[in-house]
Amino acid sequence: MEMTPDEITVFTVGGFTVNATIVFTWIVMAILTLTSILITRNLRPDVPPNRWRTTLEAVVLTIQGQINEISARPDRRVLYFAGTLFLFIFVSNLLAIVPGWHAPTGSLSTTAALALAVLVAVPLFGIASRGIGGYLRSYIEPNIIMLPFNIIGEFSRGVSLAIRLYGNVMSGAVIAAILLGVAPFFFPVIMDALGLLTGVIQAYIFAILATVYISSATEVAETEPKAAVTKDQT
Amino acid sequence: MSIDWITVAAQLVNFLVLVWLLKRFLYRPILDGIDAREREISDRMAEAAQIREAAETAAAEHHAETQRLKAARDGALEQARAEAAAERDEMLSQARARLNREQESRATERAQEARQYTEKLHQKGAAALVSLTRKALNDLSGETLEDRIVARAISRLGAMTDDLKAAVGDSRAAVVTTRTPLPDNLRTQIDTAIADALPGTNVRYATDPDQSPGLSLRLGGAQLGWTVDGYVDGLQEILSDAEQKRRSDAA
Repeated sequence: MEMTPDEITVFTVGGFTVNATIVFTWIVMAILTLTSILITRNLRPDVPPNRWRTTLEAVVLTIQGQINEISARPDRRVLYFAGTLFLFIFVSNLLAIVPGWHAPTGSLSTTAALALAVLVAVPLFGIASRGIGGYLRSYIEPNIIMLPFNIIGEFSRGVSLAIRLYGNVMSGAVIAAILLGVAPFFFPVIMDALGLLTGVIQAYIFAILATVYISSATEVAETEPKAAVTKDQT
Repeated sequence: MSIDWITVAAQLVNFLVLVWLLKRFLYRPILDGIDAREREISDRMAEAAQIREAAETAAAEHHAETQRLKAARDGALEQARAEAAAERDEMLSQARARLNREQESRATERAQEARQYTEKLHQKGAAALVSLTRKALNDLSGETLEDRIVARAISRLGAMTDDLKAAVGDSRAAVVTTRTPLPDNLRTQIDTAIADALPGTNVRYATDPDQSPGLSLRLGGAQLGWTVDGYVDGLQEILSDAEQKRRSDAA
């Protein structure tokens, strides 16, 4: 029994092994992209929205609403990043009910890649918002003694993100596989339903945590000028 | 549990590609569409606000115009009422004046009618009086009355001697006319009186049944009469003079 789709080789191109993780990721990407293209291809202001477009608008606006509740300064780039995280993880986990599907999020490589993306995106958003000096200064706040702890905290956040998602998805798949051997006609249905719920929750948690990290890196920029003004006034 | 770093790199690239793809085909079209729709709604709201503002302005102008027209109507009504009242007062005044004139005219007419009636009444009374007097004197005339008339004529002849002489001239003929023949004594008294006044005058006596009771004396061109008609005519002249005097006093 494979614990991760990384171990399933689909085909090899020029010595490069293309495993199931990458292939199923492409499938998810294709589904999301083609669905978006099909729904938004005829999008004009004078054309009244149909139910698919309305559904897609509701999804996007819900994601944006969640981001706006967390972030003090909503940014479309955060929506692009966190929204893609949510949709990718959500669709990957949702397709787990399809027989033979191997969720890419059940691969530690995928979750690590996503966590790495968050790990890189947080300082990028912070630097874009505060400038490189302002962002790096946040590592030595409240004093320079906190520098190693802040660095460790930054990396541990990425690791926890990766492990949490991988653990939840992989454990669900493993437990479902074990129960399939014990009681093949009953427990897999319950576990699949539970896996759907878990998958949705994990997608939400991953995207929300990424948004929180990005917002925490950018919100400092909002408080600094206020502090300066307060100091001037006193 | 192991990490395939090649797969990690591939997934990282895949994820970044997916971010770009969704940004290109999902987020941007959806958000731009929402923004465009919001702009359109905002434009329509602004247009609606402008229309509402224009409508409110028009309503305000209409209200002001209505108020102005109402004020003008009230003013016109007030003016019409004042003019009507003035015209009514004028018409009443004219009616009163006309009524007064008519009353005065009627009063004048009534006074005129009363005066005319009184005059007619007086005339008729005088005529009746004269007629009654004439009738009474004619009916009552007799020998005694003729004696009294003759006596009166004889007494008057004495007083009128000079006037008679002047009127008669050279004529010495006298004609005494009565309705009935005079008795001899009366004829004697008459002869004596005429002879005293006009000596040498020849007196002749005549009767005329149509003559009024009394005596009529013609001396040459002069005519003297002491008859009932003569007295009644004298009475009528007196009444006529009195009536003339009353008219002149009334005028």
